[in-house]
Amino acid sequence: MIEGKFSLRYLLTACTAITVIAAGCASESMMGSEQGRGSQSGAADDLPLEEIVVAGSGNENRGRANEPQPYGAMAPAARAHYRAKQVGENLPYASDEEIWVVQKADTASVADIDDEPGSGAMVTIVDSKEVPLPLRHTDVKAQINGYISSVNVRQEFSNPFDSKIEAVYMFPLPEKAAVTEFLMVIGDRKIRGILREKEEAEAIYRAARSQGYQASLLVQHRPDIFEQKVANIEPGKAIDVDIRYFHTLAYNDGWYSFVFPTVVGPRYNPPGHGDPIQALPRTDTSSSGAAVRYLRPDERSAHDISIDVQIDAGVRIEEVRSTHKIAASRPEENIATVQLENGATIPNRDFVLDFRVAGETMKSDLLTYVDPDTQQGYFTLMLYPPEVADDLARQDMEMVFVVDTSGSMRGRPLEQAKEALSAALDHLQEGDTFQIIRFSDNASQFGRSPVPATKHNIGLARQYIANLGGNGGTRMIEGIRAALDFPHDRSRLRFVSFMTDGYIGNEAEILGEMQSRIGASRIFSFGVGSSVNRYLMERMAKVGRGAVAYLTPEESGYEVMDGFFRRISHPALTDLHIDWNGMAVSDVYPSVLPDVFVGRPIVVTGKFLGPSNGVVVHGLQGSVDHRVVIENSSDDGGAASLPKIWARMRIADLADQRAVTGDPYEELANEIRATALEYKLMSDYTSFVAVDTSQRTDGEFGTTVHQAVPVPDGVRYDTTVEQN
Amino acid sequence: MTRGLGLFLILLLAASHAFADAPVRFASVAVFIDSTEPLAAWQLDFSASGGGMQVVGVENGDSIAFHGVPYYDREAVDQGRADRIVVADYSLAEPSELPHGRVRVTTLHVMLSGEETPQFDTRLVVASSPDGNRIDAEISIEVSEGSEQ
Repeated sequence: MIEGKFSLRYLLTACTAITVIAAGCASESMMGSEQGRGSQSGAADDLPLEEIVVAGSGNENRGRANEPQPYGAMAPAARAHYRAKQVGENLPYASDEEIWVVQKADTASVADIDDEPGSGAMVTIVDSKEVPLPLRHTDVKAQINGYISSVNVRQEFSNPFDSKIEAVYMFPLPEKAAVTEFLMVIGDRKIRGILREKEEAEAIYRAARSQGYQASLLVQHRPDIFEQKVANIEPGKAIDVDIRYFHTLAYNDGWYSFVFPTVVGPRYNPPGHGDPIQALPRTDTSSSGAAVRYLRPDERSAHDISIDVQIDAGVRIEEVRSTHKIAASRPEENIATVQLENGATIPNRDFVLDFRVAGETMKSDLLTYVDPDTQQGYFTLMLYPPEVADDLARQDMEMVFVVDTSGSMRGRPLEQAKEALSAALDHLQEGDTFQIIRFSDNASQFGRSPVPATKHNIGLARQYIANLGGNGGTRMIEGIRAALDFPHDRSRLRFVSFMTDGYIGNEAEILGEMQSRIGASRIFSFGVGSSVNRYLMERMAKVGRGAVAYLTPEESGYEVMDGFFRRISHPALTDLHIDWNGMAVSDVYPSVLPDVFVGRPIVVTGKFLGPSNGVVVHGLQGSVDHRVVIENSSDDGGAASLPKIWARMRIADLADQRAVTGDPYEELANEIRATALEYKLMSDYTSFVAVDTSQRTDGEFGTTVHQAVPVPDGVRYDTTVEQN
Repeated sequence: MTRGLGLFLILLLAASHAFADAPVRFASVAVFIDSTEPLAAWQLDFSASGGGMQVVGVENGDSIAFHGVPYYDREAVDQGRADRIVVADYSLAEPSELPHGRVRVTTLHVMLSGEETPQFDTRLVVASSPDGNRIDAEISIEVSEGSEQ
């Protein structure tokens, strides 16, 4: 059977295809506290001023009372004393391996206990506060064809210590990344990792590690958080790991966005949560669970990053922009080559590369691929929003703004969110109502219920916003309940917008809560900050049948909010259904078609059998029927990746269902596992493992060294890691 | 019948638990193909009997004409006690750059379990020339358990 499926012709086709893919205070409840204040004030339609004073100033007082001291002022007397010591000459080099010479620099020796990376005593350096850590460099090479990106990430680990180590690194990847390949590279030797069930892969890794074999393990903790382990790295030597993934690019308001996240933000885990992503100080080795270790503000590591992106848009590229300093060349009008400039290589914020293509050429598109062996077809339908008639009347709205005022938002992120909130108030019209909810350790709100958008109320709201300060944990579930648990005014469209960095570890709980309470609300998520939890943002918007937007530190909250109101004022197409025009379609994701908003296309993927002759999408613009005829794409660039794109979206859909149902019989988990294995994809239930069995290293496995990372740009260490 | 099924499940769980706790060891299996003509593509079938075996890595070979790392067919990797794996690679290099004669095309890294050393079965499914024609070739393996440095 295997021989039949794996003919040489198929082998070559499959290999070529792979090459193409390559090519979270007060503990009082919000409702209780706010209702109590409301009844005392005796306010009627408008907001009681007492409410504003209590909510705003109280929050500020809590903030000041808990104001942590800067690191320097609160440092303990026994603060680390570093010693610099070069022990390069004493490194045990393998005489016949000149490549190890490259790793000779910065070898560390025994130092003070505060600097112990693991159970062993090693480390040092330095007056410059550079902490020796195993991950020296991350090299990212991306190839973009149309709206599909294939990315190769090389993580270069070495051992700067004087005894054997196991390197452990928690890192982010895009939330839609379909990780398909994993290689362990030792000198000229490359060992392809095997995808196995997670427990099985972990058992193999533990066995190899304990017996002294060099091995690596890649585990997924969230769709966008991964853990890399590399065992038995000998002193002065190096092991690289190559990870390959692909994903579809987001398209917003005329711009495609390629995003490479570089650091996991410090997550808040509510008490009792069973599957946390902990945020710990670098020197904290007390936890064996999933945790990100952070460098103090006055520390840094040698880890840097290089990024090269090749864009073949297929149509003329009109403009390229980035959050970072880049060097770009344009050899052809539809091709751009982009590199990260040397000065921008500190991995402490998302790298975002946007490119705008010629507007008149943007049209909806049906990309298909038929597996040459099984004849199973896969499709991806990209539906761009049609033009919206100018005379379409805007319906009255019930706007609920939910803003995260936890410690991680303190500073620039919260200022941006306040800026956006203020801009939103400018867009309210007579007939609209609005509410503002803040949450951190608890939640409180502007009014007892949504208030009319009168000048008086808007003025009071501006005072409320101005008094918001950031402190405490991120109990987002309190914000969700406050935002969704009140009667819906059926005469208005209810839009709920969350402004947060999403630094929480209980995403599934949040999404489940949201889905069970959403009712008629549409949810829009605004990710605020330099390294946002994009997975949470995207899934909230999907569950809420809305859209997502991001506010990077450089961006204006006013502009983003302008776009938001333009989008929700006139949805481009609602109540969608698709005429498949004879295609025998199955397993379509998303299973519930969302609305199409101005500037935001939607992507639908599925399987099919038989011929594909294009499709017709039907929907409503206001109350008017609208149809969009979509033909098969004439460009098959990236089509070979469609099975994996389909599988990735199926896994995401199953995970969403699991978040809601709890999956008591593990049926959904089994479906995810089976899909991941069949399509060779990383998932919560599958992991890559690679072992080099050719040689055992001396002795037992060494000290575990956690790769500490900086807190994201703009995020404060004292209000996040130290307070966790 | 229910009782019988329950007993079977208990025995199955006990067996799998015992297997999971069994001591394991690792070995590398170097795979060579010997051909008289330039080797442009190959596919092999590797399995084991008489002992537990799990493939834990697929390594590149010695020929620079094959730049990457061989691919494997995941569908052929069993979830049971012994794996069976299909491995393949191809090269688009010029015929003069392709290997001929005996060349290591890959090394399979395996984890072994159980008292017995399994019997490895390696079968060359196909070897082909640059023009896609099947060529005569022989396949052989060399097994070594990881040695201390």
